[in-house]
Amino acid sequence: MSNADADGPDDTRTEGTPRADGAGAVAGELAEPDHDHEFPGMGSIRRWFVTTNHKDVGILYVVTSLFFLLFGGVLALLIRTQLWVPGGTVLDGLAYNQAVSAHGLIMVFWFLSPFAFGIANYVIPLQIGAKDLAFPRLNALSYWLYLFSGLLLMVSFFQGASFSGGWTMYAPLNVPVYTPHIGASTAILALTMFTASVTVGSVNFITTIHRMRAPGLTMWNLPLFTWSILLTVWMMLFAFAALLAALVILSSDRLLGTTYFAAQSAGGSLLWAHLFWFFGHPEVYIVFFPALGAMAEVFQTFTGRRLVGRKYFIGAMLLVAIQSFMVWMHHMFLTSINLEIKTLFMATTIGISLPFDLMVFALIYTMLKGDIRFETPFLFAFGGLVLFILGGITGVFLGAVVLDYEFRGTYWVVAHFHYVMVGGVTGLIAAIYYWFPKMTGKLYDEFLGKVNFVLYFVGFNLLYFPMFLAWETPRRVFDYRPEYIPWHRLSTVGAFLLGLSFLVLIYNLYISYLDGADADGNPWKYATTAEWAVPSPPPLENFDGLPSYEDGNLTFRSESAGRGGEAAADGGRTDTPRSADGGAVVTAPETGVVAKTSHEEHASHASIWPFVAGAASFVVLVGLSGLQQGSFPSGAAGGFYAGTTLVGGGLLLYGFVRMAAERFHGPTMAMAERWPFAGVDNMKTGMWVFLASDVVLFGAFIGSYVFIRVAEGWTNWHHLIPADHVVLPGLINTYLLLTSSFAVVLALVFAERNNRLGVVASLIATVGLGVGFLINKALEWNHLFHVHSEAFPNGWELSTNVASSTFYLTTGLHGAHVTVGLIIALYMIVRAWNGAYLDDEAPIEQFGLYWHFVDIVWLFLFPLFYIL
Amino acid sequence: MRFLHVLPLVPGHNGGGGLIPRGTRVEVFSEIYWVFLWLGALVGVVVVGYMLYVAYEYRHDGEVDDDGDRPSLGELPTGGGKGGKLFLSLGLSAVIVVSLIAWTYGTLLYVEGDSPVEGEDHLTVGVVGYQFGWTFTYPNGHNTTTLRVPEDRAVQLRVTSRDVFHNFGIPGLKVKSDAIPGQRTNTWFIADEPGEYTAKCYELCGVGHSYMQATVVVMPEAEYEAWYANTMADGANESNTSAATTPGDTTAALGGVPA
Repeated sequence: MSNADADGPDDTRTEGTPRADGAGAVAGELAEPDHDHEFPGMGSIRRWFVTTNHKDVGILYVVTSLFFLLFGGVLALLIRTQLWVPGGTVLDGLAYNQAVSAHGLIMVFWFLSPFAFGIANYVIPLQIGAKDLAFPRLNALSYWLYLFSGLLLMVSFFQGASFSGGWTMYAPLNVPVYTPHIGASTAILALTMFTASVTVGSVNFITTIHRMRAPGLTMWNLPLFTWSILLTVWMMLFAFAALLAALVILSSDRLLGTTYFAAQSAGGSLLWAHLFWFFGHPEVYIVFFPALGAMAEVFQTFTGRRLVGRKYFIGAMLLVAIQSFMVWMHHMFLTSINLEIKTLFMATTIGISLPFDLMVFALIYTMLKGDIRFETPFLFAFGGLVLFILGGITGVFLGAVVLDYEFRGTYWVVAHFHYVMVGGVTGLIAAIYYWFPKMTGKLYDEFLGKVNFVLYFVGFNLLYFPMFLAWETPRRVFDYRPEYIPWHRLSTVGAFLLGLSFLVLIYNLYISYLDGADADGNPWKYATTAEWAVPSPPPLENFDGLPSYEDGNLTFRSESAGRGGEAAADGGRTDTPRSADGGAVVTAPETGVVAKTSHEEHASHASIWPFVAGAASFVVLVGLSGLQQGSFPSGAAGGFYAGTTLVGGGLLLYGFVRMAAERFHGPTMAMAERWPFAGVDNMKTGMWVFLASDVVLFGAFIGSYVFIRVAEGWTNWHHLIPADHVVLPGLINTYLLLTSSFAVVLALVFAERNNRLGVVASLIATVGLGVGFLINKALEWNHLFHVHSEAFPNGWELSTNVASSTFYLTTGLHGAHVTVGLIIALYMIVRAWNGAYLDDEAPIEQFGLYWHFVDIVWLFLFPLFYIL
Repeated sequence: MRFLHVLPLVPGHNGGGGLIPRGTRVEVFSEIYWVFLWLGALVGVVVVGYMLYVAYEYRHDGEVDDDGDRPSLGELPTGGGKGGKLFLSLGLSAVIVVSLIAWTYGTLLYVEGDSPVEGEDHLTVGVVGYQFGWTFTYPNGHNTTTLRVPEDRAVQLRVTSRDVFHNFGIPGLKVKSDAIPGQRTNTWFIADEPGEYTAKCYELCGVGHSYMQATVVVMPEAEYEAWYANTMADGANESNTSAATTPGDTTAALGGVPA
């Protein structure tokens, strides 16, 4: 399939895009020729670097997360070995603190969710009837960002010491005054990179699950695993935005010298607690929900009964997802918050336990009148439920504030959360056994599976139950009362047993993959969901025909039959297979033509650019970790870091430009359930969803500013700001931005009217105004940096005080958003010059959405930082 | 000895009389803890036991399965019905959980407000945490690294930190409070048995966290008065970070405990 007739012989529309030379845009050949027929097989190494297929990405996630499980597990064994004797000497104080911090960070971030999302990546499109996720390259990008962020965390251990302030990273322990090692900054940057991976992933899954469901598969009909993942990604979208704010502020404190969290700031320590726990509480449900959904599916399949109270179960999950954002202060009962607030959060915390009660009972009652088979997946699901119940009961203790007063900072908390979270892991192990035959086409070894379960369950309880008995031991402390020695030793033995069980798991998966019995499409007697209706493993594009539930059951329609009359399927615009993945505009044929072969929307499966972007991000963040107080230190080390930043940054920019210019066809579905995004296409949905998370990001920044300002005294604030900080620059910037927004609207209008020069001119105007904004800001900042007044003899810089810190970082974040927008706009100018966007102006519309958002944010920042 | 605390519903058994546990922090915690523990264990045993029973009862045992209504591949999900039992169980557990918490709310009010330190003759001590130890400041300005308190008298602690986030707790006396730089937290306790106790740090604060301890000595009233009389404003040591006399508490934006 050469480029010249990629459109097919029937395409007669004129295109400005120089298709003939196969190039997408910038002078020369930036766009790649169609690689699809060159997509390497599973045995080839190159395949794994370029694949964007959801099944491959899923396997990458699962395998990688198991490596991180081993790292986190080894750290746990180190901790438990230290605790064999009170005042253990295996590790010194700094090493022990790194061990507990890295153990928590790795397990929560680099193991739990990625493992769940590996399975979700594989299974969700199959369950909903889609050929892939909405944005396959972004999916691959999520993975590479994840992998490289984990590698960055590993690097941090070699830069003095990694982060040693606990996975909770409390302030001000988290600032360089108290944790000076460069590795601590690197660990924070690694987590920030991970957050980017998650955000990209959530946008992808949200768009996919809402917009790419087979006809007839309404939201209520979704499989429970899909429901749990959907709610997980919605929670992730908002929670991780708050974490990103916290991490950006912390990185800024560590690398640029701002003073948000330093002890001088009245609200600094509490600000971190609020930001972190606002993220932290939804996070624990984020890691648990996939397990819950998987357990529900496993219960159904292995009991042969449909889930009791299914609609209530879904409602309960929805309630928990929403309520998860309203309980965070139960992690702060012993801070200086007042009694009314404590009471409120006590109430909301107890409130959130009730939907969980319902879900637990629903699972239990599903067993009634069942035909239960105790195969490995069910053993783990059942066991996981037991462990979760025990953990949940102990959580009620913590919700009673007066009890929490004593449990705070003790092993009661540690035991509680390990019961619930590792209870979740138990459910995920059930999931991996359950879906293993689908993913590999082989059956796992059932005997080994049962051995795994016994070792696991015994090891688990031996490890965590004694922690309740020795609960008075303080957390993260390796000295404890001698009467607790037997309990701690039991725990240590249990830890090794549990570790052994994971080795059995990995061995089982490995040996079965190599040598197991073949599995057919559906090895489970009572499975109902769509993934079991295709071969194991499924073909590249999942289905032979188009899945549909419109008849009340799963059927597969032939490709051409499914194409007629699709315009009214959901009342929205029919998806045309154009720019579905945001690559260079591919004006493929309209779908109205019925007689097309299945090659007409030949989906792409390969791109090297996600890998490049991931690797480049790794490099640039290694470089940035060397910053101190906003600049690189002099000398060889400083030179290394500066150089690395430059190289990484350049590579990153290059990778993104290539990715944008690449011709990539994402999957499309002519007919699908699309609620509630029926009227918009995938790209626009994705953009809106992304902007929603950006709203939370800026909301957190603005909230932080308000919090600190109130703590300092709202009107006192003016003493922290030099007289030279006047309204005028802000006002000018407001006008510049508003005008630039208007210019973007003009660009859209010109594009709709096929006016190439008009589009180019308006985009140039946009960029010009945006550059003006940045120059104006630079002048303003430069002036403020060099202020010399009585109050500010050394200028008003990032590190001067909290007012300067909040001002520069918040408006700086906004300025960074402007800069990114300008880079995109520059790229678009070049493409517009070459005639793009005249047939498909959607990219301009999507850019416009982003740009208007950035302007609206400024309309909030301007009064807050210049007027009030 | 512990078993006595299993009967908190016996009127007059606890300090304040009636349903709401009152008394020293140890008594209050003990009563609530043991109720929760027994109830929690009961619920756990009942629920898990029921699960095991049901799993056994409905196991696949090779006999012909005559239930024609099993799930089949490709079907659209249906409710599965039987919401009734579900809501009954949910209702029951909600009643248990909400009652438990409501019961502890009374004690929360007692601890936070209507507590022995209100308007009574109590001792106020400032506590300052630092990497890696504690200093205590008495009303007369005396600073010390050992906390000495009289028996049977309410002691109010005003806790803060001069560097990072710590947490001050005396497990033997069941009192604990965060030590936050720039903030002041308050808590109180009554010690009814003389002796030596240990105070520890319950928030990771750096390399010395595991060793951050202080000794607490509970003395009979007379002995305490004698000791205190001998101290006077011993201004020699610790710097001016006496928490008890630092003015101007900052109040967290989202509601803080006023000074």
